[in-house]
Amino acid sequence: MSTLEIGGSQLDAAWFLLLGGVLFAIGTVGVLVRRNPLVILISIELMLNAVNLTLIVFSRQLQNMEGQLFALMSMTVAAAEAVVGLAILVDIFHVRDVEDIDELSEMKG
Amino acid sequence: MAIVIFFIAAAMAVAGAVGVVSFREPIRSVLSLVVVMLALSILFLLLSAQFVFVVQIIVYAGAVMVLFLFVIALFGPTRRLAKTQLRFQSWLSALFVLALLGLIYSMLQGIQYRQPDKGTDLSAFGTVQSIAVGLFTTYLYPFELTSILLLVAAIGAIYLSRKKIDDL
Repeated sequence: MSTLEIGGSQLDAAWFLLLGGVLFAIGTVGVLVRRNPLVILISIELMLNAVNLTLIVFSRQLQNMEGQLFALMSMTVAAAEAVVGLAILVDIFHVRDVEDIDELSEMKG
Repeated sequence: MAIVIFFIAAAMAVAGAVGVVSFREPIRSVLSLVVVMLALSILFLLLSAQFVFVVQIIVYAGAVMVLFLFVIALFGPTRRLAKTQLRFQSWLSALFVLALLGLIYSMLQGIQYRQPDKGTDLSAFGTVQSIAVGLFTTYLYPFELTSILLLVAAIGAIYLSRKKIDDL
């Protein structure tokens, strides 16, 4: 039931899902370990992409279009969130040169 | 053939993802993320999501990543490297992420795939028409809300990047 018929060959949906899980985990490593706020935002985008892959896989496996619509909405929300997050970061960077996320731990400034 | 494409795209995606979190300069992280997005769009095309494949390339890799590149171009390369870090932070996060991966893997083992819904033929799956039918009939309300969300985000970005006049 989890095999997908793609282009004549049989692929397993579990491989795609495992790839999505691995990408999500690597994005989590990026959010936890990196200090530069810009790289943290980029890692969050990586996690969102992994989730989109999972949505598309299930949409294909269930042959239901809702997964692809959900992925489109998720892409839109990710774009809006990237816009606002980067605008805030640009605002902070105008005041002081931040290279460590711990410098932003207080609201003042 | 499809298996070969899958493995090439998957290897590209994982290599790009490792590059995103490993490179020291943010510009290389952004470019690695573009590689990940291109690999994922190949996978989307493999999964019969033609419209999402094009949207991923045009909107995500072509607009959102260019936005990141503009911000990096505005601020130039990082001049100082971060010095403060918890001593055990890398090991602790590696541990947590391995636990997360184990959790995801065990969840994948327990998935009961249900039968596909009847009545959809794969020739019209993922085409623009089927996306439009869903987006403008059943999911019209989320579609309109998403456009309002984009409007709010654009207004917020314009407001946040306004020129502040100090002598008023």
